[in-house]
Amino acid sequence: MSTLWDTTGTEVIKALAAARSNGAAVTSGLALTFVVVAEEKHVEMAEKAATTAAAMHPCRLVMVVRREVTARTPRLDAEVSVGGRLGPGEAVQLRMYGRLALHAESVVLPLLAPDVPVVTWWPGMAPERLATDGLGVLAERRITDSAVQADPVRALRARAADYAPGDTDLAWTRITSWRSMLASAVDAAAGPASENVSVTGGQVYGRPDSASAALLAGWLSSRLFAQVQVVESDPKAPEGGGVPDAAGVSGVRLDLEGTDPLYIHRREGVGVVARAGRPDSSAALTEREIGELLGEELRRLDADESYCGALAAATNSRGLSDRSATRSLIWEDPAAGVRKASAEGSTDSPMVTTTGVRGTA
Amino acid sequence: MAADTRGSARGAKGAKGAKGKPQQRPGNPLRDPADRRLPRIPPPCALVVFGITGDLAQKKLLPAVYDLANRGLLPTSFVLLGFARRDWGVGEFIDLAHKAAKEHARTPWRQDIWNRVAAACKFVPGAFDDDNAFDTLAETLLALDESHGVHGNAAFYLSIPPDSFPVVLRQMQRTGMADNVDDSITGYWRRVVVEKPFGHDLPSSRELNELVDSVFTAQDVFRIDHYLGKETVQNLLALRFANTLFEPVWNSHHVDSVQITMAEDGGIGSRANFYDATGTARDVVQNHILQLLALTAMEEPVEYTSDAIRTEKLKVLRAISLPDDLTRYAIRGQYTQGWLAGQRVPGYVEEDKVPDDSKTETYVALRLGVQTRRWAGVPFYLRAGKRLPRRVTEIALTFRRAPHVPFTASDTESLGQNQLVIRVQPDEGVTLKFGSKVPGTVMEVRDVAMDFLYGTAFTEASPEAYERLLLDVLIGDATLFPRHQEVEASWTVIDPLEQFWAGQEPAHYRSGEWGPAEADEMLASDGRVWRRP
Repeated sequence: MSTLWDTTGTEVIKALAAARSNGAAVTSGLALTFVVVAEEKHVEMAEKAATTAAAMHPCRLVMVVRREVTARTPRLDAEVSVGGRLGPGEAVQLRMYGRLALHAESVVLPLLAPDVPVVTWWPGMAPERLATDGLGVLAERRITDSAVQADPVRALRARAADYAPGDTDLAWTRITSWRSMLASAVDAAAGPASENVSVTGGQVYGRPDSASAALLAGWLSSRLFAQVQVVESDPKAPEGGGVPDAAGVSGVRLDLEGTDPLYIHRREGVGVVARAGRPDSSAALTEREIGELLGEELRRLDADESYCGALAAATNSRGLSDRSATRSLIWEDPAAGVRKASAEGSTDSPMVTTTGVRGTA
Repeated sequence: MAADTRGSARGAKGAKGAKGKPQQRPGNPLRDPADRRLPRIPPPCALVVFGITGDLAQKKLLPAVYDLANRGLLPTSFVLLGFARRDWGVGEFIDLAHKAAKEHARTPWRQDIWNRVAAACKFVPGAFDDDNAFDTLAETLLALDESHGVHGNAAFYLSIPPDSFPVVLRQMQRTGMADNVDDSITGYWRRVVVEKPFGHDLPSSRELNELVDSVFTAQDVFRIDHYLGKETVQNLLALRFANTLFEPVWNSHHVDSVQITMAEDGGIGSRANFYDATGTARDVVQNHILQLLALTAMEEPVEYTSDAIRTEKLKVLRAISLPDDLTRYAIRGQYTQGWLAGQRVPGYVEEDKVPDDSKTETYVALRLGVQTRRWAGVPFYLRAGKRLPRRVTEIALTFRRAPHVPFTASDTESLGQNQLVIRVQPDEGVTLKFGSKVPGTVMEVRDVAMDFLYGTAFTEASPEAYERLLLDVLIGDATLFPRHQEVEASWTVIDPLEQFWAGQEPAHYRSGEWGPAEADEMLASDGRVWRRP
């Protein structure tokens, strides 16, 4: 591991090359470059999660921490390691101060591994429009987390408004085990000869402010062609599913044509399927750590059509899948407001640039 | 910001092109081929294990069930039903399973998941020849339909010695547990899983296959060869058929020879009785090594389905030819005492329960041919053995030398032949060996190796071979299971060798060496050498 204080992008590239030739045996074969855009308070969590994900997918990890955007002197600190504390692969942690933070891509672009996909993850606050962050523009896959935003459901609407194929949200990843459980429960309800089962509708029980619950309802709506709503879970009513899990979902009701509905809810760490006149059955309904969620995200590097459908239905948006998969950088100066308040002169002129982005095949 | 309203309502996939009210497609509306996050989950079913107290069940099977449950890959309606000759209730069975799972599971221990697995456990005590016990088993299975909603689906895992197969299968036939003539009529499936050895020669394997196939139907029989569950073995198909780079040179025009090595550093351990009656050729060459050979040499399957792949493998196995001169090209050896990894180890005949005059081989080296247009003239050298210097399994393709090299002979003195090595275990990965200039002022070319390494760190999360295979059985995907024709074709290769070797004294090699001198001479007489793995 080498630590560089007050350095330049060129020095970082040299340090990475040196670390690579020293520890060559650890990393052969990179599948992707994983860019993490973290705030200082999230660094520890993001490091842990990214390390877990890097252990599943050979990647070059580039973590960017923007600090003190208003600092007068731009400055870059970097830490480069191969097979070190940030997982078995190559890792670069960059701390950017001052105006440099607004041009983070100038440091990151030369650090991307040649000709492999780029995935960018915002563990905390994500920009309302991802195109305003140069680190989002250069990525083929962009991962946000609506659940950690101040108003998750509003954040989800922003994601839909800003959606481009290749975007996903960890609020969606969190419900994979729920979705898998529901699909399996419908399989079981379909009976032995797997006759056609008709699910006419349903309901999601959970926290009304949960982005995951909204997406789960959206997914069911898009699959069932029915309006599936989120209702607040009632801890007293058993079918209400009791207490919501970390994702904010406590249970689901699925209405079957001509028979009793299925109630699926979470009880003591497992998912339980209940149906009148039938014995309860159960399966693992795991709550996963962020690192494992990222591991799932990095498995597939193409657009997630199911997420697109769920997001569209959850937010009543249309035409999401028709949008272009590439974004052009929109210049926005987050320091402008602060600066105006402190009556300082502006240094950068507003501009719009288009960064050459690899097309998604 | 306003939502983008361009285009039609394509957000919900499936609504596309439908006029009026969109309709659900037949089948489970929540399953969508485009939704690749949802894992493959088997339908409701029961897993019935015979010989649940055995070594394999405890080290591999029970932990695999727990791991699958922990990964959320078991259906909501699932029952694990144990059968063994123990005077036990379900409590003792759960204790045993708990210990086995906790000790050998690969995923982290979670009590709530275990509680669920334990709640799905059933146990029926009895001997294999006890009619009452099997009647109870059949009734228990029937009752599971009502109590656990398994829809009659059941997989029977025979983790028992092969000589018990006939009696257990007959019992299943008698009680009607195996009945599943056509699952589109009965509406449920019954499958059977058998472990190697699949017989000890062609007639016995045929007999076994006929028996199993008569009780179940051929497509419901799953023969486990755990090598095929390994990631690197599956990756061999991806490497060959997903890339453009390798397939054009994957033939006798470019390949000089192929070496398949499966070396173990361990001895026979506590398996003396089994091993002494079996030997290396039957133990690993007939199944694992010939399967690796088949995957290496097979033509491209028309599609990635079990039928297509197994058809291509079978063609290769049937095209295998034995050398005329068996004395030179079919070597078997037996380890004598020696030093291995800094420790003194006993010779084979000194191992516990091995007769002093045993002629059983612990090492085999073979030269086979594959009589197809692609491979004619390319020797396939196979070797497998115990007490070799290290544990390694790999497939190495050695390419022909360039027909003309513009450099002088002295420039390329240390240039060997190009090699592509698929390392199956350990250090899973791929190595490409090629010539490269030695840095300096003169033109000198020598071999360098380029490595692709999965690395243990990257494969930690990948499922264990048994997990993968067990899941495939419950889903009904037979891609990674050899068909009975493949097993029989493999015995056709092994049987003449066993006949030739019968009564012969095996060559001896010291423990900790790469096999007997005869094996080295075999390659030397072809002008080649074994690759040091």
